Amino acid sequence: MVGTLIPQEVSSIGENHFSLIYIFPPMRFRNLQSILSWELKNHSVVPTHYTLWYTIMSKPEDMKVVKDCINITRSFCDLTHVWVNTTDMYVSRVVGFREKAELVSCMGSFFLESDRPLDPPEFEIVSFTNHISVNVKFQSVDPRILNEEELQFYLAFIEEHEGNSVKRHQPQITGNITENFNYVIDKLIPNTNYCVSVYFEPKDPRKINRSPLKCTLFQPRRESESSESATIGGIITLFLITAVFISTVMILKRIGYICLRNDFPKVLNFRKLSIWVFPELPPLEKVATVEVIHINRKKKVWNYNYDDESDVENEAAPCVNSGGYTKHGLMGRLCPASTTSASLEDCSDHSAEEPYLPEPKGDAETPMAPGPGPWQSEGTSGGYQTRGTLQQDPTSEEDSDSTERSEGRIVFNVNLNSVCVRALEDDKDSEVTLMSPSRPEETVVLEDLNETESSLLVASEERTHLPFTDPSMECLRPQDAPSDQSDTSESDVDMGDGYIVRQVNLKKFN
Amino acid sequence: MTYRCLLQMVLLLCFSTTALSMNYSLLRFQQRRSVVVCQKLLRQLPSTPQHCLEVRMDFQVPEEMKQAQQFRKEDAVLVIYEMLQQIFSILTRDFSSTGWSETIIEDLLVELQGQMDHLEPIQKEIMQKKNFTMGDMTVLHLKKYYFNLGQYLKSMEYNSCAWTVVRVQMLMNFSFLKSLTGYLHD
Repeated sequence: MVGTLIPQEVSSIGENHFSLIYIFPPMRFRNLQSILSWELKNHSVVPTHYTLWYTIMSKPEDMKVVKDCINITRSFCDLTHVWVNTTDMYVSRVVGFREKAELVSCMGSFFLESDRPLDPPEFEIVSFTNHISVNVKFQSVDPRILNEEELQFYLAFIEEHEGNSVKRHQPQITGNITENFNYVIDKLIPNTNYCVSVYFEPKDPRKINRSPLKCTLFQPRRESESSESATIGGIITLFLITAVFISTVMILKRIGYICLRNDFPKVLNFRKLSIWVFPELPPLEKVATVEVIHINRKKKVWNYNYDDESDVENEAAPCVNSGGYTKHGLMGRLCPASTTSASLEDCSDHSAEEPYLPEPKGDAETPMAPGPGPWQSEGTSGGYQTRGTLQQDPTSEEDSDSTERSEGRIVFNVNLNSVCVRALEDDKDSEVTLMSPSRPEETVVLEDLNETESSLLVASEERTHLPFTDPSMECLRPQDAPSDQSDTSESDVDMGDGYIVRQVNLKKFN
Repeated sequence: MTYRCLLQMVLLLCFSTTALSMNYSLLRFQQRRSVVVCQKLLRQLPSTPQHCLEVRMDFQVPEEMKQAQQFRKEDAVLVIYEMLQQIFSILTRDFSSTGWSETIIEDLLVELQGQMDHLEPIQKEIMQKKNFTMGDMTVLHLKKYYFNLGQYLKSMEYNSCAWTVVRVQMLMNFSFLKSLTGYLHD
């Protein structure tokens, strides 16, 4: 392996033009050797021995002879221990002698750091089906001479020899110098011999130190086609697998097995840290206490006795029995077509207000006038006449006014929803004929206030009977009434103004 | 809010640290590349040193350039910047007697200016510290060395051999610059 260095100047002495060409052998970087060699260009006259001198350019020093290279017959000189300063420029002079006559002299200058060519790295080539792989080993390069950073600026050229044509490849070296570098040469012609050489690009283009050629015959096999088909099959298989995977994910997402949407209401949003740290208590429900105020009102005792002696103002206070009802005795006589007499006692609840006595009106559907009013007798059409007196409860402390049956017509309005009715004991005909709500011409308000609601009296053309057995008994309650006799349903509805409407559906009484 | 500011500060510190470290690494790569380019350009300038042995001169090259020494990266920056500045100043002188290509000289000057632009921010930051270090002594020696070169050219009337001798000195300077770039590491 020999590198050639063309000196700056070749001088010749004598008749024959002898020229020396310095052959600058490649430095053995592993041993850091510097060997300077030379050869004659014209071999007509050959010196018998040589002597080498040198000097440096940084200082004005005289030429120094190399002790190991005095009158040598060889054509090279080892300067490893002489040219030690790689950053200085050395000027050498070689003089060829024949016997004692000086035949030829040659001088040259060398700047070792830049002029020293790099040994090409070792490499291997491998032939594949459709390409040639070149594996360059940078481990052979001494890092003391060439570090990884300098290698960036040295480009490794790979020459591709195809017959007589040479093609250079310039791979980019980016890896570490201690690592191997692999380069692929493709686009090759089948059945062709290819030779590869690797070298570093020197700073001086004239000083290329190429590696010996390594050749291989590129013979692509038939298997390349199968390899291509295998590659295509692999790609198709990969595509199918990817498609199956994607479709499976989509199906799972569609059916809700994965990626469920969590549209939780705000109250279930626990992502806020403040909620974890400072949990917000739900707003307290507004709780209001209700106090049942029992209002004891002075019950007006209506004295329906229209005698002159009777004092209208003499109202009896409602008395409260143990059951909590305020009883007001009402004696009157309903006079339908078939005259019947009945005594009614209206009972109202303990907490109820004054009995509701709606004013008689032509329209039987408007019995909601509040407050008591004087009894009025009013004749109405329809054939029904009602008359009665309101009698106090026997349990009242006050003496009740004696009731007299008025021969006159007495018209009074009673809110049947607030009273209970029962037949008196002395009246054998403990029957109470109730008005039918289907006869709106009646003025007596023994009728339902609201036909749609379950009224106290469900009138019918048939007589209805209230099977009271005890005058002191309270209003018939659904739980008290025999089930086989009555078909009653009772409920309390607060009508306002303190009245508790006892709603009793009297359908049929035997 | 506090956590956000803290995170931003941490990221800023990490980024700044990374940026500074990357800055020296990038500078080293740039400097090394520039030195190699300058050496290639210098070698394109034709010269015959063996014919100018009689006009050689000892310019008192600083010992730091002869012998390998340990430099801090801040000192290396100062020395590199000073050398680039001085070489730039010398190459702007009259070289007409040499027959050198003006294009090559201009390329050299452009390359030197580019490297000085890369080094200037760091060089100013180091100068603001005003700490007398070994780099300052080396800079003083370099100033004297380049003054001698300038005076040599002037005395030789800028002839070709003088420029040949100075060219050799330039090659030596760039070799020393290449070794200094090795100190620009993190």
